[in-house]
Amino acid sequence: MFLAVFTPSDSREVSLDAALVRRLLQRDVSAFEELYDRHSRIVFALIQRILQQASTSEEVVQDVFLALWRNATQYDQSRGPFVPWLLTLARNRALDQLRLKSERQRRREEQTEELPPAVTMPDFEGSLDEQRRAKRVRELMASLNPQQKRAIELAYFEGLSHSEIANALKEPLGTVKSWIRNGLLRLKEGLQATS
Amino acid sequence: MSNTDQFRELIEAYALGALDPEDRAAVAAHLATGCAECTKALGESQWLVSQLAYLAPEAAPSDMLRGRLLKTVREEAAAAKTQTPQSALPLWMWGAVAAVLLFAFYNAYEVRVTTNKVQEMRAALEQQIQIQQQSARELALARREALILTDPKSVRIAMPPGSKELPVLQATWHQELGIVVSGQKLTVPSGNRTLQLWLIPKAPGAKPLPSLTLRPDATGKFDLLVAAPPDAMTATKALAITEEPEGGSPQPTTTPIWVGAVAGK
Repeated sequence: MFLAVFTPSDSREVSLDAALVRRLLQRDVSAFEELYDRHSRIVFALIQRILQQASTSEEVVQDVFLALWRNATQYDQSRGPFVPWLLTLARNRALDQLRLKSERQRRREEQTEELPPAVTMPDFEGSLDEQRRAKRVRELMASLNPQQKRAIELAYFEGLSHSEIANALKEPLGTVKSWIRNGLLRLKEGLQATS
Repeated sequence: MSNTDQFRELIEAYALGALDPEDRAAVAAHLATGCAECTKALGESQWLVSQLAYLAPEAAPSDMLRGRLLKTVREEAAAAKTQTPQSALPLWMWGAVAAVLLFAFYNAYEVRVTTNKVQEMRAALEQQIQIQQQSARELALARREALILTDPKSVRIAMPPGSKELPVLQATWHQELGIVVSGQKLTVPSGNRTLQLWLIPKAPGAKPLPSLTLRPDATGKFDLLVAAPPDAMTATKALAITEEPEGGSPQPTTTPIWVGAVAGK
């Protein structure tokens, strides 16, 4: 079922992450170094996309990896894969930073957690090569109508709520809610179908 | 649609952080109930949402950042190693404990906020239910009154006043549904006085039976429904209305102002 995108080497990648995190819990600096080299690019890309500023983005990347080093015990391997957990942590930290520079502080205070909760790996997830994963996610998102894609990006990269997106796009609230839910379900189905 | 279905539709947006505060509080409260289906859906949705990171244009941090970070990590690791062995927990673990405590406090705060929100919503809901129940009661009474006034089996009783300056009142009595008394252009009794309806029994020597009190509105109009009269129509000789102290009396304290003979069917 996973031939197109998911390969045996991919699940080895997940196992490697899990092994590195176990070593991280033993305060193994080389494990930290390896985790950084494996994932700092996507973490930085995500944070820079949210903040749109390289220097501030590097500060947030540093915060994220130091949080990982200092609070690795909060990542529960039994409840999901490492990378989605790390990306959730990175997004939360970047949106926190964005919040400091915007008027959306109140809403984000209600939403952002110190560290993200567990991320459950769906049955079809397995583990897939990062480049192919990125390509597939982009293809699926490109297949949405432009406004629908924009609505999801505003929520994910700018931390906007349904109402704020409806205002930004000058579309009815119900339409925005449908766009986002249907878009995410389509992304999910697309990833499943690839498997 | 079940309660779970209703919240299930919001889970993806909850994971995305796109819900407005009210919806978000409602979903958080639902998840706090331990709904297994929604909890599983949330975990999967968080995974799905994390995949959106791959939409970001590719970029790499500088080598300087890598160097800076590794320097900090090495220093912290070295400091932890040089700590006294008597220490039950290394420094980094105290940091982790502090973070866990901070996270726990944050969660406790969020639970409290959510609980308050749920209580507010519940109070508003109860208020709405009470308003609906009150409306339903009023509607039932209005229907009953309409039936009494329109049913051919009802007996109409004219209640002439003792004084010519006062209007005639009209009573309508239905054996099963009760009595409706209505009138217009009445003088409103003074502040601590009220009007009271009496049933005068046919039995010789029997005392008047007290019924409900009434007050005309500002225009002098009133409409009184007695759903459960204290006696049957067949046992009643007349209806009477007196002026009494506010709250009514067990026996009349003044002379009746209106009296109407009951001629039962």
